Amino acid sequence: MAFSLCAVTGIALFFVPAFIIRPFRYQAPRALQVAMSLRQRAPIGTLIAAVVCFVLAYALWRISSRWGKAVLTVILLIVTFSAVMARLNYFEWMFHPVPGVEFLAQSESKLDPKEMIMSVSIGEDARAYPISQMAYHHVLNDAVGGEPIVVTY
Amino acid sequence: MWTRTVKGRALHFYLAGINNQNFLMRDRETGTWWQQITGKAIYGPLQGAALDLVLSDELTFGQWRSESPSGRVLAPVAKYTKEYDPNWEPDIAKLPVVISFPGTELKSRDVVIGVSINGTDRAYPWETFAKQTPVLDRVNGTPLLLVLGPDGKSFRVFVARIDGHDAEFFLQADTQEWALLDTLTASQWNFQGCAIAGSAQGKCLDRVPALKDYWFNWRNYHAGTTVYKH
Repeated sequence: MAFSLCAVTGIALFFVPAFIIRPFRYQAPRALQVAMSLRQRAPIGTLIAAVVCFVLAYALWRISSRWGKAVLTVILLIVTFSAVMARLNYFEWMFHPVPGVEFLAQSESKLDPKEMIMSVSIGEDARAYPISQMAYHHVLNDAVGGEPIVVTY
Repeated sequence: MWTRTVKGRALHFYLAGINNQNFLMRDRETGTWWQQITGKAIYGPLQGAALDLVLSDELTFGQWRSESPSGRVLAPVAKYTKEYDPNWEPDIAKLPVVISFPGTELKSRDVVIGVSINGTDRAYPWETFAKQTPVLDRVNGTPLLLVLGPDGKSFRVFVARIDGHDAEFFLQADTQEWALLDTLTASQWNFQGCAIAGSAQGKCLDRVPALKDYWFNWRNYHAGTTVYKH
């Protein structure tokens, strides 16, 4: 019983928000709140759940049948997977961030004059962010004219 | 584009999820969740905070280059170049939409220019705008000038006021070089909103931040928006 509770907690903390925040699906405001609050607590929550699950499974192991052991193993694997995934940002596997932000002079750029860019100019500092690149990376932390900005597309 | 200094601290943002096809980001410093289109903190330690908008443009590279010859361009990341979609515009337009506003004047994937003046929001359908350019309008008492660039793709929005006086603008006949003329001073204005000839020479119009977006996304965050018609 305690083991089931801990397993459900550990698994839900990762899978429920992952299910709610999936692309091309409607996110209801309430569900989104639930997803964000679970995801916020998931790194520590899934870790505690995993440790407790392993302790309980150790106690259950001896009194379990062969099938029972198989079930325990599978559940422990899922709980572990959940604890690992709660620490990783799979959105950045789909859309990688820019590792080291570098800029080119206009003469070095191979961009076609007709290509769309987003541009910003602060003080003497003018920068262009090609939309074809930003539509993939989505988020870019930069500093323009000494002002820290975040470019989003 | 947003400034990322909140309460004196520079935050670093990363992609963290999606909310009805508008992405969510979080900051590494506090873990707060932020909505991309509004710049608002919607969950976490900084909930209720809002990032300040940075005035930015959507231009063609060619137009930008002619205006900012010493400007620099974000370098493509070699290992992701195959992920960059040269056809992003039609490809994004094909993606499914998960929220819709039936009964409103526009279709979900119609492109609009969204403008907010002191809490009053208005959407300008791109097609109408591109046909009529320059568009003169008034939102919440402010006279607006929306202009399509000489390249037919770049756009900017200005306050249509010269030295505190409302002015009207029209395009100079297309036999000549691209320029706007105003009815108040008969000066010539460039696409940056600055007078290049005439009695207003050297003056520049005030800029108005504007967002080029799909109707469903604009409407979702600006429930009271009106739609420009003409």
